[in-house]
Amino acid sequence: MAANAQGVAEAPFVWHPRSAAEAWQLKATLGAEGVFTAGGTLLRTQWESGLAAMPNHLINIGEIEELHGLELDSETGTGGFGAMLTLSDIRTSPQVNTRFPLLTEAARSIAAPSIRNLATIGGNVLSMVGDSIPALLIYDPVLHWHDGSNGLKEPLSEWLSTAPVHAAWKERLLISIELTQPTMDSNTKRFVAYHKVGRRDAFTPSVVTAALSMQLDSDTRLSDVRLALGGGQTIPHRLETAELFLNGQLANKKTITEVYALILEQYEPKGDAFVPVSYRKKAAANLIASELWKAVR
Amino acid sequence: MLLNRKGSGARWRVRPDGPDKVTGKLAYLTDMTAPDMLIGRVLRSPHPHARITAIRTEQAAALEGVHAVITHKDVPGLNRFGIAHPDQPVLCEDRVRYVGDAVAAVAADTIAIAEQALRLIEVDYEVLPIVDDAEYALTDDAPSLHSQGNLLHRNGFKRGDVITGFDNCAHVVEETYYTPRQMHTYMETEGGLFIFGEDGRLTVYAPTQHGFMDRMQLARILAIPQSDIRIVSSPIGGSFGGKDELNVQPYGALLARITNRPVKLHNSRWESVRAGLKRHPMKISMKTGVDCSGKLIAHQVRIIADTGPYATLGAEVLNFAVEHVIGPYRYDNLDVDGFSVYTNNGMSGEFRGFGGNQAIFALEGQFDRLAEKLGLDPWELRLRNMRKSEDPGPFDQPIALTEGAKQVSSAMTASTLWQERGKLGTEEQQAEPWIRTGIGAAFTMHGAGLGFGIPDPAGGRLTLAADGKIEAVFSYEEFGQGLIATLEQMLIEQFGFASEDIRIIIGDSDVVPDSGSTTASRATSMMWKSLQNLRPLFEEAVLSKAAEFVKFPARQLRFGEGGVYAIVVNPDSSAEECLITYPALAAACGEPVTCTTTFHFPTSATEKVGAHFLYTYSAVAVKVEVNQLTGRVRLLHQYHAVAAGPVMNPQGFLGQIEGGSSMALGFALTEDAVMSGGQYLTKNLDTYLVPTIAEHRGTIDVQAIEELPEDDSHGPRGIGEVGSVTLAPAIAAAIYDAVGIRVTKLPIDPELLLAQSFDQLLEKAVSGE
Repeated sequence: MAANAQGVAEAPFVWHPRSAAEAWQLKATLGAEGVFTAGGTLLRTQWESGLAAMPNHLINIGEIEELHGLELDSETGTGGFGAMLTLSDIRTSPQVNTRFPLLTEAARSIAAPSIRNLATIGGNVLSMVGDSIPALLIYDPVLHWHDGSNGLKEPLSEWLSTAPVHAAWKERLLISIELTQPTMDSNTKRFVAYHKVGRRDAFTPSVVTAALSMQLDSDTRLSDVRLALGGGQTIPHRLETAELFLNGQLANKKTITEVYALILEQYEPKGDAFVPVSYRKKAAANLIASELWKAVR
Repeated sequence: MLLNRKGSGARWRVRPDGPDKVTGKLAYLTDMTAPDMLIGRVLRSPHPHARITAIRTEQAAALEGVHAVITHKDVPGLNRFGIAHPDQPVLCEDRVRYVGDAVAAVAADTIAIAEQALRLIEVDYEVLPIVDDAEYALTDDAPSLHSQGNLLHRNGFKRGDVITGFDNCAHVVEETYYTPRQMHTYMETEGGLFIFGEDGRLTVYAPTQHGFMDRMQLARILAIPQSDIRIVSSPIGGSFGGKDELNVQPYGALLARITNRPVKLHNSRWESVRAGLKRHPMKISMKTGVDCSGKLIAHQVRIIADTGPYATLGAEVLNFAVEHVIGPYRYDNLDVDGFSVYTNNGMSGEFRGFGGNQAIFALEGQFDRLAEKLGLDPWELRLRNMRKSEDPGPFDQPIALTEGAKQVSSAMTASTLWQERGKLGTEEQQAEPWIRTGIGAAFTMHGAGLGFGIPDPAGGRLTLAADGKIEAVFSYEEFGQGLIATLEQMLIEQFGFASEDIRIIIGDSDVVPDSGSTTASRATSMMWKSLQNLRPLFEEAVLSKAAEFVKFPARQLRFGEGGVYAIVVNPDSSAEECLITYPALAAACGEPVTCTTTFHFPTSATEKVGAHFLYTYSAVAVKVEVNQLTGRVRLLHQYHAVAAGPVMNPQGFLGQIEGGSSMALGFALTEDAVMSGGQYLTKNLDTYLVPTIAEHRGTIDVQAIEELPEDDSHGPRGIGEVGSVTLAPAIAAAIYDAVGIRVTKLPIDPELLLAQSFDQLLEKAVSGE
């Protein structure tokens, strides 16, 4: 925590850069003394719980215009989500709901209204365990960073696989998240679902978060299956083995039973003092199996 | 009467403190500040059990902006507090027994300086082995936490011989039930403002449920006369029993005295969780047997209550649990043995329901299990063993005679919710076969008042004040339950005053009489009784004065809106007229006219300490939905039949039952302050989960049964707690109805209710592929 010579806490100095380059430069200059802040909702809880010290300098990225953009391209089916878009912005956008409905659903389920008005999509992603991540993972997400030079593009899943151990990303500034809508094959129907299970119905940390998207043809044959799971301290990820298994299968009871067993076997969530791993595995498998069952019913 | 706005008509009133509360205009005591005020902070033990070998405060005291650093050496009087048994150190001398134990306190110019000062206090600890389990605490291996050992209190009740009784049973059910360390979670955390005046008197602005008890305890700690302390204690942002005991008051008072400056303390939620009271976690083992007709033959109960490091009201809570594991049923043979046990876990203490919540969850669970063994409807088994109105109470003590048990049982079984049993639709189940619904019910009689053997004074005062206001003065507290609204409504309905005529004065020990505590579902009953006693006195005193001035016989006068009325007979018409307004009457009197009453809460003619005389009866039915994909339970509908005598304030009554039920929902499904090794794992409201509005999407019907026997003189019974004690067992019964799984531990673990395989889930819904 920022402190005076006697050790008494003082409020951090807050910088207000107007461009990504300026923000990046501030961070480069301040080093570990400076921390990017957007909504500040997660930082506050970390300071209060002692998980992180309040830094001497906060770099408020809220006044950087390019971080606020929402660009939806109906021709390419892509969407660019500025990192500063709040969860409320996303939740209430009809365009987002039409193109990326799982993201709308995810935004609806995170925290409480007053927090969603401040908390940003960028912050939710960079927490590594945000409940938007399973939804984003369905849409081939790519992170766009400002790194002081030409900018950097990196698939979200790639970043998630290295972020906990390689902290270099903390020197960069997340500009936006690019998503792509799945294309539809002819004669198929697409089914999507998002579930967040907490220890209560609202304003609760997730225990299991599941997102899925799949195509079914008239014979109930599955294709383009995308499954993502997360929740609690589990870093969300796609279930590639299960997706591979399901693609091309008929969505019948046998398939559902098999994929249920596969998820139980392969999904490795983290437990905590409140909810054990065993529950998380079973609930995750149940949710995905139930969506397959509903799709063919 | 089904309580709701429409049916209540004009009796549904806007509560006087409502608008300021919902607009945020109302200032709570912890919102107060004073010029030159210092900030107080308390240094608490990081260890659940340790010896203190040294405390060094020099560095903290030397920090600029620090005005006082105090330790146990600075406590002039008794360095202990505790309502019933003062054994909790204000500031620990040589030993800490839980992570909330206070070791030192500071007063400083700012929050930041105070917190830095706490970091500069050096305390040397020698960590001791901990006792974090109540059963382990009772073994010879466990370290002793107090000179008398680890047993705070043992209490039981016996009748007949259960050993022989069980030999004669056709069916016996043995089960052990566990209940959580529930937190009150009041919106306003503990705090207050402490000011020594120029006259040397201390004024305490701090929420409490019994100002006079705080005054006595603080006088003992400060070694000053009680008359030198004024306690201002309302309004309060929620309490539920949690602010009845002292919390920050000793530190504020000591720091204000030493610095001679106003001092404010206000716990963060983190500190509130760490230091504050919780509901006693209990392990209740029951063995209950019936003959082949379902008649209860023997009931054996063992209660282990984790009371934490110090007593507060641990013994009294256990007494209440012992009474309520017997409950509204009759048994041939009975053997209840309860233990309230010291541990190094968090402090347990007073909490709405007061040990009844745990007891009733266990007891009602036994009936559901026995009924199944007998092949009987669970309610039929209850009816066969339910007390008759003339039967003695649980401890065989005489109790006030009512038909409450029968009344609530009949109302509940006639409810549309209960009638729906066995007819739940299958259509939804086809669409989502993992959703199962069920209906369950539970029953209780819940005692009010502190019980036999405990001082339980009551009383109040009515005054026609100099300005013409009718002052109603009580030492009861408003902590959100609607006490002010109920008192106002009683004055309007029973005396005929208008709300503008009335001034209600509570929560200031300098001006109110001792009406006893605002606890134990007693305040409304005691206000009603006070007004019953005061009415003839006040009429006599005030109307006789009025008679002098208006030249009318006193017996023809009555109180009305704005003044004193009588029927004035004229040659052409006779009409009731206001003969003199209250301000005019007050002016004519020249001095205030005051009437007081003091009495004791009615108690039973018994020798059993804690036995009650007045009870409220309740039967609750619920409909729940269990999602077997997630194991999560949703409460769809609740029906409460409550027999508590006449309804004084329909909105307040409904609010108490709904609010109590909401707490019970948390108790059943989500709330537990989890501890490990004497440390809280739930440190804040991000992991301690109270129900939100999302959990309250279900409907709730409250049926108030008002009829009392004709000769009843006790009037309205308490309803502050009864809404919180019967829901959990009803939910457990409904879950069994839905999915056939018995719950023994609260909050209910969703994993228990998950489908064991996906095949099992779809068995009924899918045939073949």
